[in-house]
Amino acid sequence: MMKGLQPVTTGISKPKQKSNTEQIPFSLLCNTYEKRQELVPGPKAAGAFRERPTKPTNFRKFYERGDFPIALEHDTKGNKIAWKVEIEKLDYHHYLPLFFDGLCETVHPYEFFARQGVHDMLEHGGSKILPVIPQLIIPIKNALNTRNHKVLCTTLKVLQHLVVSADMVGEALVPYYRQILPVMNIFKNKNLNSGDGIDYSQQKRENVGDLIQETLEAFERHGGEDAFINIKYMVPTYESCMLN
Amino acid sequence: MSSTSPQPKSMMRPTQWSEQVEEAYRFQLAGYRDELEYKKFQKTDNVDRWPHNGYVKKLTRRDGCFYYYNKTRECPDKEISKTKIYTY
Repeated sequence: MMKGLQPVTTGISKPKQKSNTEQIPFSLLCNTYEKRQELVPGPKAAGAFRERPTKPTNFRKFYERGDFPIALEHDTKGNKIAWKVEIEKLDYHHYLPLFFDGLCETVHPYEFFARQGVHDMLEHGGSKILPVIPQLIIPIKNALNTRNHKVLCTTLKVLQHLVVSADMVGEALVPYYRQILPVMNIFKNKNLNSGDGIDYSQQKRENVGDLIQETLEAFERHGGEDAFINIKYMVPTYESCMLN
Repeated sequence: MSSTSPQPKSMMRPTQWSEQVEEAYRFQLAGYRDELEYKKFQKTDNVDRWPHNGYVKKLTRRDGCFYYYNKTRECPDKEISKTKIYTY
């Protein structure tokens, strides 16, 4: 052993034995709340469930500029979009991410057009959807991150539609679970405990907790063999709907 | 509508949903009486249909816009009695 590393005796004396009476820290001695006989306030809310403000979307800009080949129907059955161009001829790389971007919207007519436009394009896209998946992740993530009840419900339903819209789409989403699932993990237990009362959101399919459970199950069913372990990694309370 | 198109003899309003009602609902949503009138107006012989169940998939409206329909039932309960089924 080298000389320099040998223990050197110093002049510092050994630590004294602890006295029986523990020393009270100074910060406790001068506790102002105690002095004023007030309750100590708890920590601030972290705000995990708080709604986040949204920036104006590209979808709104494009709609107002008249860039979309769609027309609004002013009839009593206002649940359809009239397309001015056949959907089969649309450039999915351009339009599908734009419509997904509009999922953050909460006001009419943007909200309606985005929701219905996505629905129509997914229903009739077929093999054109799969190559666009990477471009859809950021709009989906933004929509979920708004933590707005309405936006969450719409986005979850869209995700359920997306995984069944074409072959291999479910598998293609697995690498992006890290972006999509954190918000689902937060809201997974958002379920009203009304005892034996009626929770009307269940009838209207607006119960976020139930929708998340359905969505995760759809992901697992269509995501191939790696889906479950990846979901479990992001949402630890999720139990498989196929293995049990 | 041209005067040569065949005129229906009678019309009935359904009370229950059926595939026939669904068919009529889809054409009437797009502004046509039924398949006959659609083919006559568009001067075409084929209607785009879903391959698995034969429901109407795509229709062209009178103004040239396109309506796209779902794979599954679209006619809501409240619209059943408003749908008209024509016989010739």
